[in-house]
Amino acid sequence: MAANEEHRMLQDLVAKFVDRELIPLEPAVLKREANGGKLGLSDEERAPLLAKCKELGLWGLDSPEEFGGANLPVEALALVNEELGRTAVPFIFPPDSPNLHMMMQVASPFQKERYLEPYARGEALSCIAISEPGAGGDPAGMTTRAVPDGDDWVINGRKIWVSNVPQSDFIILMARTGEGKRQEGVTAFIVEKGAPGFIIEREIQMIGGRRTYELVFEDLRVPARQVLGQVGQGYAPMQLRLNVRRIEMAAKLIGMSRRAMQMMIEHVKQRVTFGQKLADRQAIQWWIAEGATKMHACRLMTHNAARTLDAGGDVRGEASMIKVYSTEMAQEILDNAMQAFGAMGMTKELPLQVMANQVRVMRIYEGPTEVHRMSLARRILKEGI
Amino acid sequence: MKLLVPVKRVVDYNVKVRVKADGTGVETANVKMSMNPFDEIGVEEAVRLKEKGVATEIVAVSCGPAACAEQIRTALAMGADRGILVEHDGVLEPLAVAKLLKALVAKESPDLVILGKQAIDDDMNATGQMLAALLGWAQGTYASKIEAADGGLLVTREVDGGLERIQLKLPAIVTTDLRLNEPRYASLPNIMKARKKPIENVKPADLGVDVTPRLTVLKVAEPPTRQAGKKVASVAELVDKLRNEAKVI
Ligand SMILES: Cc1cc2nc3c(=O)[nH]c(=O)nc-3n(C[C@H](O)[C@H](O)[C@H](O)COP(=O)(O)OP(=O)(O)OC[C@H]3O[C@@H](n4cnc5c(N)ncnc54)[C@H](O)[C@@H]3O)c2cc1C
Ligand SMILES: Cc1cc2nc3c(=O)[nH]c(=O)nc-3n(C[C@H](O)[C@H](O)[C@H](O)COP(=O)(O)OP(=O)(O)OC[C@H]3O[C@@H](n4cnc5c(N)ncnc54)[C@H](O)[C@@H]3O)c2cc1C
Repeated sequence: MAANEEHRMLQDLVAKFVDRELIPLEPAVLKREANGGKLGLSDEERAPLLAKCKELGLWGLDSPEEFGGANLPVEALALVNEELGRTAVPFIFPPDSPNLHMMMQVASPFQKERYLEPYARGEALSCIAISEPGAGGDPAGMTTRAVPDGDDWVINGRKIWVSNVPQSDFIILMARTGEGKRQEGVTAFIVEKGAPGFIIEREIQMIGGRRTYELVFEDLRVPARQVLGQVGQGYAPMQLRLNVRRIEMAAKLIGMSRRAMQMMIEHVKQRVTFGQKLADRQAIQWWIAEGATKMHACRLMTHNAARTLDAGGDVRGEASMIKVYSTEMAQEILDNAMQAFGAMGMTKELPLQVMANQVRVMRIYEGPTEVHRMSLARRILKEGI
Repeated sequence: MKLLVPVKRVVDYNVKVRVKADGTGVETANVKMSMNPFDEIGVEEAVRLKEKGVATEIVAVSCGPAACAEQIRTALAMGADRGILVEHDGVLEPLAVAKLLKALVAKESPDLVILGKQAIDDDMNATGQMLAALLGWAQGTYASKIEAADGGLLVTREVDGGLERIQLKLPAIVTTDLRLNEPRYASLPNIMKARKKPIENVKPADLGVDVTPRLTVLKVAEPPTRQAGKKVASVAELVDKLRNEAKVI
């Protein structure tokens, strides 16, 4: 069977999952958030979903077959993410393992057994600490330092904006070990939860239902066997998953835009002001035409990059284009949809405001827009168009 | 018990159907196509009968263009064992499909054929009944429940004003109604496994069936948009308008 036929069936499966299992939970999720609670599923809501995922094989979609995963190509992952984007209910097909591919690339046999395997099976969680108060969009400027001491490394410094810290069994901590000015001399360490000197300084509430953490490391001792990959060469594997992540993000943003457009279209066809349907007004029609055009362009770009990546090509430039384009597209579409709903669009009863805030945050993480534009322009200035 | 389950490729139920500009039919290019929902219910029922140990083999059949392989594949991913594609690019009327199915029945000797009560594209509601007539088999249409009983089937039918239970002798034809079951999701591992299940490709000529249409479609048009209603001030005015304007009383 042609790959795209199989992918269409997978997309159908995920679409049904989203329509039947996730979207019905949306009102309750939105209500809790509106009343000051956290944006997310309760344990009682999540458990049956995870069971359903197991039953349907919606598990380990991007992890290799040796870990019981489906090892899907990026193009299929893009279709999956587009469907998941259609709901404001935060849900990731298990296991939640964004560091998997970085670890697979460089983990030692000891690390494979102790960290990677439980992580790939979904029995352990982890996060990655790169950003610092003085180095974010330019992570090579980090100053957290690790110095050798006998068989150990001793780490001092501070990280910020790190997601998923409290639930993580271990974190991947990036620290400077060499004298190299920029990317040289950055090493990745695996640090276990509760290690003495690993301090969760504070929780920071972010918009879009997110939470991040500021972390302090005070004379944190890490045995040499917990160096992930080569000393001084932590930067390259860290970049490994970024292209896939950006394609997945773009797909998710297309899904969010699709939901917003569908809601807007339904609304403007029946809302009458000044004796006429909103759908008959040129101002509104232009939102619809622009939104549909941008979604089409974004989908083509995203799937093209996914196919190139699946074929082993270099998509760094395209990934930057997509990251910038998809976030700006979704922001505009969501904003127009909210505007078209009038006061209803300003309520916390619709998923639009949650999505709009999620998109707003996406313009910062995985590389802020301006930094992507800068590196894209530099690449083009150097290599030509 | 061996089952034959026809599955039709139709415009997805979520798509708003548009009439082609030249009025020859509805637009199907660049439109999402899916398995007819009543056929999906048929596949689900077949798979359940197999899970209960009543059925032993499920053969999914689709008649139409090569792209129908996609719908067969969906049936295979839901649990059918193998597929047959009767490939034909032109119009296939219900009688032609019934004749093709009759020829396949002769080849495959199933004990039961489960069809949808109708396809959501042309809403003909004819193929199952025609097939039963051509074969001279018992038929249980609009089924909302199917049970194995006394070496045959006990079928609960949705009829005007209630439910009717009939006992069928095998071999038989059943057509599904909406409430028979809720079709399962085709799981990802089963989607992958479907790749390995065989689909046989045949042409109407191979089955010795002439599928030339017997009807000519003159024109397909959108239903007229509804006219805005009129408010009347009194019952007297209403009666007057019904009598003199609408001329219905
Ligand atoms: C929800 C969320 C989750 C996060 N999770 C994690 C995590 O798990 N782990 C982690 O390590 N980090 C995480 N981050 C941090 C994220 O990676 C950084 O916020 C991001 O890299 C930007 O860094 P910064 O905040 O220091 O901004 P800065 O780098 O200070 O940038 C500020 C602004 O200046 C612009 N700018 C920067 N350089 C240039 C330039 N050369 N030209 C023009 N404009 C420029 C940027 O585009 C941005 O708009 C998360 C952030 C958010 C919002
Ligand atoms: C925080 C908040 C507080 C409020 N407080 C009050 C209050 O105290 N008292 C009160 O009475 N109301 C209040 N309102 C309601 C507010 O005045 C209305 O929301 C506003 O007038 C818009 O009306 P609507 O929501 O019905 O949107 P609609 O009139 O349905 O408009 C929807 C969208 O269509 C656009 N649109 C409308 N007509 C056209 C056209 N002809 N051409 C192009 N585009 C068009 C609008 O610009 C808008 O983007 C409040 C609203 C908010 C958000």
